[in-house]
Amino acid sequence: MDNFEPLIAVFSCHYCSYAAADLAGSSRIQYPPNIRIIKVPCTGRVSVNHILMALEDGSDGVYVAGCLKGTCHFIRGNYKAEKRVQYVKDLLSEINIEPERVQMYFMSAAEGTKFANVALEMTEAIKKIGHSPLNKSRS
Amino acid sequence: MSKDVLVIGGGIAGIQACLDLADQGITVYLLERLPSIGGKMAQLDKTFPTNDCSICIMGPKLFEVERHPNTHLLTYSEVEAVDGEAGNFMVKIKKKARYIDEDKCTACGLCAEKCPVIVPDQFNMGLGTRRAIYKYFPQGIPSVYTIDDSVCRVFQGKKCKICAKICEAEAIDYEQKDIVFELNVGAIIVATGFEVFDPSDIKSYGYGTIADVITALEFERLLNASGPTRGHLERPSSLNIKAEIKQTEKKIKKAKARLKSLEKKNQGSTDEARKTLAALDERLSGLKAKEAALGDVKDIAFVQCVGSRDLRYNAHCCSYGCMHSVKEAIVSTEHGSEIRSTIFFTDMRAYGKEFHEYFLRGGAEYGIQFVRGRVAEINQDDHGRPVIWCEDMDARKVKKLPFDLIVLATACVPSKGIEKLANIMGFDSDQSGFVKTDPNKPTTTSAKGIFVCGCANGPMDIPSSVSMASAAASMAAQTVKGLG
Amino acid sequence: MNTELRIGVFICHCGINIAGVLDIKGLCEYAKALPNVVTAQANLFTCAETGTSAIKKAVKDNNLNRVVVAACTPRTHEPLFRASCKEAGINPFLFEMVNIREHCSWVHRHNKDAAQAKAGDLIRMAVAKAAFLEPIETFKSKVEPLTLVIGSGIAGMTSALALADQGFEVILIEKEENMGGLLRHLHKIAPANVAASELIEEKIAAIKKNKRIKYFTSAILEEVTGYVGNFSVRFSCGNDSYTCKVGVIIVATGGIPLRPEGLFNYDGKNVITQSELEIKLKKRDIEAKSIVMIQCAGARIPERNYCSRICCMVAIKNCLYLKDIIKDAKIFVLFRDIQAYGVENEALLLKAREAGVRFIRYRPDTPPVVENGKVKIYHPAMGKEIFLPADLVVLSTPIVAHDDAESISRILKVPINGNKFFLEAHAKLSPLDFAFNGIYLCGNARYPATVREATCQALGAASRACITLSHDTIERVGTVASVQEELCSTCFTCIKVCPYNVPYINERGRAEIEPMQCQGCGICVAECPAEAIEFKYISDKQIMAACEALLAS
Repeated sequence: MDNFEPLIAVFSCHYCSYAAADLAGSSRIQYPPNIRIIKVPCTGRVSVNHILMALEDGSDGVYVAGCLKGTCHFIRGNYKAEKRVQYVKDLLSEINIEPERVQMYFMSAAEGTKFANVALEMTEAIKKIGHSPLNKSRS
Repeated sequence: MSKDVLVIGGGIAGIQACLDLADQGITVYLLERLPSIGGKMAQLDKTFPTNDCSICIMGPKLFEVERHPNTHLLTYSEVEAVDGEAGNFMVKIKKKARYIDEDKCTACGLCAEKCPVIVPDQFNMGLGTRRAIYKYFPQGIPSVYTIDDSVCRVFQGKKCKICAKICEAEAIDYEQKDIVFELNVGAIIVATGFEVFDPSDIKSYGYGTIADVITALEFERLLNASGPTRGHLERPSSLNIKAEIKQTEKKIKKAKARLKSLEKKNQGSTDEARKTLAALDERLSGLKAKEAALGDVKDIAFVQCVGSRDLRYNAHCCSYGCMHSVKEAIVSTEHGSEIRSTIFFTDMRAYGKEFHEYFLRGGAEYGIQFVRGRVAEINQDDHGRPVIWCEDMDARKVKKLPFDLIVLATACVPSKGIEKLANIMGFDSDQSGFVKTDPNKPTTTSAKGIFVCGCANGPMDIPSSVSMASAAASMAAQTVKGLG
Repeated sequence: MNTELRIGVFICHCGINIAGVLDIKGLCEYAKALPNVVTAQANLFTCAETGTSAIKKAVKDNNLNRVVVAACTPRTHEPLFRASCKEAGINPFLFEMVNIREHCSWVHRHNKDAAQAKAGDLIRMAVAKAAFLEPIETFKSKVEPLTLVIGSGIAGMTSALALADQGFEVILIEKEENMGGLLRHLHKIAPANVAASELIEEKIAAIKKNKRIKYFTSAILEEVTGYVGNFSVRFSCGNDSYTCKVGVIIVATGGIPLRPEGLFNYDGKNVITQSELEIKLKKRDIEAKSIVMIQCAGARIPERNYCSRICCMVAIKNCLYLKDIIKDAKIFVLFRDIQAYGVENEALLLKAREAGVRFIRYRPDTPPVVENGKVKIYHPAMGKEIFLPADLVVLSTPIVAHDDAESISRILKVPINGNKFFLEAHAKLSPLDFAFNGIYLCGNARYPATVREATCQALGAASRACITLSHDTIERVGTVASVQEELCSTCFTCIKVCPYNVPYINERGRAEIEPMQCQGCGICVAECPAEAIEFKYISDKQIMAACEALLAS
């Protein structure tokens, strides 16, 4: 278990968190290489299915990273995403899968450090929880 | 005759005017004195009353200007002369040498990583550093680097050229020269913005002598996640100590190495070296104790009307100071749950849409203390903490209060180049030195075909600047369409 | 799609920015082995001319129909590569970009093996997604080169004239019998120092004379349908009903000063409002020697918790005009905070002080009390209550929204805020736009504004409108949502969740999304329980494909 390197899918919105990831890059802030970003125009685009699909397809954790509350480019997409993430968490709890595998984060385009910190935080958290039981192809 | 428009100034007002015109199918030249467009708004952390992250909402506009088929960006450029008349201006422009081929530079930043020259960073209000080859700010447009020839070694006659060696895109060109060219336009929009009043003129406020007395714009950079402290709210005095600690540690390392080599060589006495090391060690522990004693920033004061509404400096009101202090106080709470803010004000000018509500929330939800009274003096207590002397007009008492950090809401003053521009272009200025307009035509200057918007016209907040920019665009469009 | 997928992958060294950390050759080999990939090549700088021409050549040589570029951030470089695709004859949306610089080589510099693996994963995900990319076309919609301006105060008239001056036709509707709005009742405008009537008459004459402006008074807006470039408007004028097609709409419906019933013993005679004072000033019908003005009468109180922005300046202006008429008048202004922002306002405040007007601050917990012929006020500097003689008390009341603001907001489907002022698209950067494309806002309808500010906003709104009007057609990229009617169960979910109120139920009883109005956020796509909403730009299939490719198979 010590060498477990989790795979984490990130749904990242074009306007804020993707830009924050870019800023982390141009500021050369180092973070764990465990995340894979899937870019969406707005986190409001991310459905419950997408999150579940990412888990089923092998990621040990999934998080949705949208704009700060009240600053969504599309007014309220991040609030929608937050609700859906909560829905997925509840669903996971019901089938005895750790709801912490799925998280919602909010960050601004100027928060490169936060992007890196979130990637670190999530990686550490999933390392503690361990492999996703849904992920049969890895050991 | 020309149907094109020149917009002078690449802040939010200039950008809005430029995009409005470009979207209408008019060719626009957007001229900016600095290496990147963005202006003052790009330096702000958040904006009131929505707490929107400033660069987040501005960034897409910067891209839009660069990509728009009808816009031509003239950054790092200045207006030298203007001839002609409305509908047919000839504008002489100097484009300063960046010493970088803009088409080749990929903004990878390797050059800046290796550049040996470190200077204060203007974008971060001197609180951070940059190299001689630099990008004005990370999200700056155009996304290219610039060599500051006033500090670059090559231009001081020294050997270096490290950046040319490291740049694989071969974008460095030390031979690049300033280019002077002429532009024919039908109308001009002046959107040159404002300057922040230098509070060191007010001796009694101690700015420049007391480290932890800073301006609001400096504070914005300290709050900002991409600022010099990466958003950790630190007082300049503690930053200074940290820098000193770093320096001392370096010296200790050197002294240790020297001692080691002396011991190895076994020649002569090592007493001197030991003494130096001991002195340095002592200094380091002293500095560390000092740093520990400072602790986190907890009490912040905001001082309003610094150089504004004051006949000694500027009679006028800066229009946005009350609001940016409320905003900064609110945003501060995100940087430390124990942070308490006090705002010393004359009149609470929360007169815009949702401003008064924002001010009330600042008090009720974020616990901001409001003290009505003009600050008389700022000095230091025995521990070096800045202390405010002020008459609390509600309590009818003179108060003397220490703070960790004092933020000055400095006046909005005309930009430095505006006088020269007024001479070149022949428009009048008002009593405060801002561009004067026709009372009935709010963007029309005394020179025909030349319009003004944003803080070039006088202090105003962002929405007013944006509205006025669209208004100036409307007037310029009328002029070049030849129908107005 | 029946044609065989032929994907080309282009991997950028970005000098040593990427190649210094990642093994580009290895990535190329890896990419070549991925499904549907026909070619994978490396470039020193893909964004340089040599790079983009290499893409174009490869498209031709290999008959590619999908392009994947692994380089820096799409936020800056996607437009460039999309353009290259277009030049190579591929729809620009059959392009996918992988960020292996900002998201990989730059942030995992010290962990080269993991960075290499991550870059491979990202390329694999992009290639998988590319298989499901669909061509997206731009579409056009005709623009009616006509504007509807609602309201004929200074803002509405200024907008209408600005548009007419640029050659556009305008329909101006006014609900009152006469044009002119609030200014009709005012005395003089500061700091221009012109008579309000002069200003208004001049504008009205210009409008009446202008062939491009059709104006209707006593006109009531009844219905608006359609979208930017193509609105259908119905309004009535007396017994007549009119319909017209317009491209854009400007809301300049204004506001009105609060009538302070029940406040400070308001009686309209000895205790009057600033507007009533202006009528008196106009007629020079004032004899009072001691005048007390009370600011924030009905503003900044719990039931109306906003600052009306202009009342302090109105009071200061009127103090100066009063001093002109009655030289020995004693004037006191009781205020909470004087709002004399900027250069001119502060100068005017100073002038009033110099003219002998006395300003006394009051606190909301000790408001002034108007009694017969005098005003009781707690003087904060003296620390006690004092009595001011008052032949006349003038209340500075806030501008409030018109009663019909709500109904107009419903008709136009644009929002109003808690104080019933119209709500712009963005408080900072879109102060004159609504989130709904093609409708603009200016003047008191937005928020209390001085004549100068309202004029500025009106010109600005005209400029925003001109953006649409300047083109015969509006072009939009089809990165929008569309309802597949046969799947729609008319559950109203999309209508509920759309932040822009775009979806509606069409005549067939199904949801429909007007592509000209859709902003392309994808919220409805994610919420539709029947999965009836298509979003070609980032389709479910693409997202699923990327998810499936998270792990190497």
